[in-house]
Amino acid sequence: MSASATPELKAEIKSLVLETLNVTGVSPEEIDDSVSLFEQPALGLDSIDVLEIVVALQKRYGVHIDDQNLARTVIRSVETIAEFVATERAKTSA
Amino acid sequence: MIEPSYPHRMAAHCESGTLTGLFNHAGLAISEPMLFGIAGGIFFGYLRPRGLPFPTFVVRSRPGSLRKHAVARLGLRCETRTFRREDDGMRALDRLLDRGVPVGAQVDFFHMEYLPEYERVHFNAHFVTLVGRSNGHYLVSDVYHPRIARLPFESLRRARFAKGEFAARGRLFRPLAVPPTVPWESAIRAGIRSAAFAMTRLPFPFLGVRGIRLFARKVQEWPRLARDEDHLSHEVMSIHVILEDRGTGGAGFRFMYASFLQEASRVLSDPDLAEAARGMMENGDRWREISLFVARIGQRRDLGPARLRELGDMILERADDEERLFGRLLRKFPRQGIFSRFGVRL
Repeated sequence: MSASATPELKAEIKSLVLETLNVTGVSPEEIDDSVSLFEQPALGLDSIDVLEIVVALQKRYGVHIDDQNLARTVIRSVETIAEFVATERAKTSA
Repeated sequence: MIEPSYPHRMAAHCESGTLTGLFNHAGLAISEPMLFGIAGGIFFGYLRPRGLPFPTFVVRSRPGSLRKHAVARLGLRCETRTFRREDDGMRALDRLLDRGVPVGAQVDFFHMEYLPEYERVHFNAHFVTLVGRSNGHYLVSDVYHPRIARLPFESLRRARFAKGEFAARGRLFRPLAVPPTVPWESAIRAGIRSAAFAMTRLPFPFLGVRGIRLFARKVQEWPRLARDEDHLSHEVMSIHVILEDRGTGGAGFRFMYASFLQEASRVLSDPDLAEAARGMMENGDRWREISLFVARIGQRRDLGPARLRELGDMILERADDEERLFGRLLRKFPRQGIFSRFGVRL
């Protein structure tokens, strides 16, 4: 993961996560960029939620997260997701 | 012995990842998807094994077959040994490790104590690389663990000699020599041919594409086999576990196979294989949708006949697509069997 993620991309990802997990009563600003999504009580993520996010990222950004090892590394925080998306986008546009 | 220099890497699947690591270490530059594809690892089988109360399915070829086929098709020399006596098996391992030789081993997953307890189940066909020993412990390169792990002597002994289905009998394996010229093209063709044949032409109703169709039909009868709603929900959600959680490279190995086809298209300079890779990737996406679907309906206990019919239809579509994809691959690389020598196409 090397390409830098913009604040806009991070904000987009926060909204996508909330929308995908159908979380109400939490605004994107309340989600910390660097804190583990598993440790944010408002989200209460489980392994199925991780797969939901993986599929949502693929539909929105066309990025593939093939296996569970990679999913565990990427779907850790907003920051790690955004970096992954930015890197994958940079690869396809190169 | 000090911490070894074996280049440990995580991988998607234990058998293909372990073999890839060992082959790389022996001097063969090969990726995990390439190894999986050459070995013809992709498969489907809907099974009701004796001793298991509920049907299940497999998405890859039999454990151990990746090694056998990859070694034969790539022209490697490899040593494989099993042992009647545990002491002999442990001594043979120690001798190799003391010479600094990393060795692949088949073990019972349950005894891999460095992994979280909730993940560990008894499964005799887990694969790891043993890379050294020190202070009463073996040093284990396990592709599901982020770093080289330490495992007590006795735990490894139990893991190597556990009894039951797929009993390893202490199995050890290691590459001895890589040929000066690796027959990449013929190996890729043979791998595709064998997988496509197994998926489309095996004359058994529970294997390959026919097996997917049987699964689509039978899953709708699962409520009759389940004890109660909780049991049914558990079994339906296990579809998700088999497709995504058990080191499959994603969507029941379909993503890994797509990566193989992509790489194969570059090696053979064949745009048809790149097209097949795109088709396999889309097929993987649809399998992943099934995975998500079963997780959702299982979690919500939304398991009525209409939902299971919907699930059956989704699975049936996978059978249709895989029949097209593998059928095309088999026509491209037909089997050269005794019948084809007489002009008969199977």
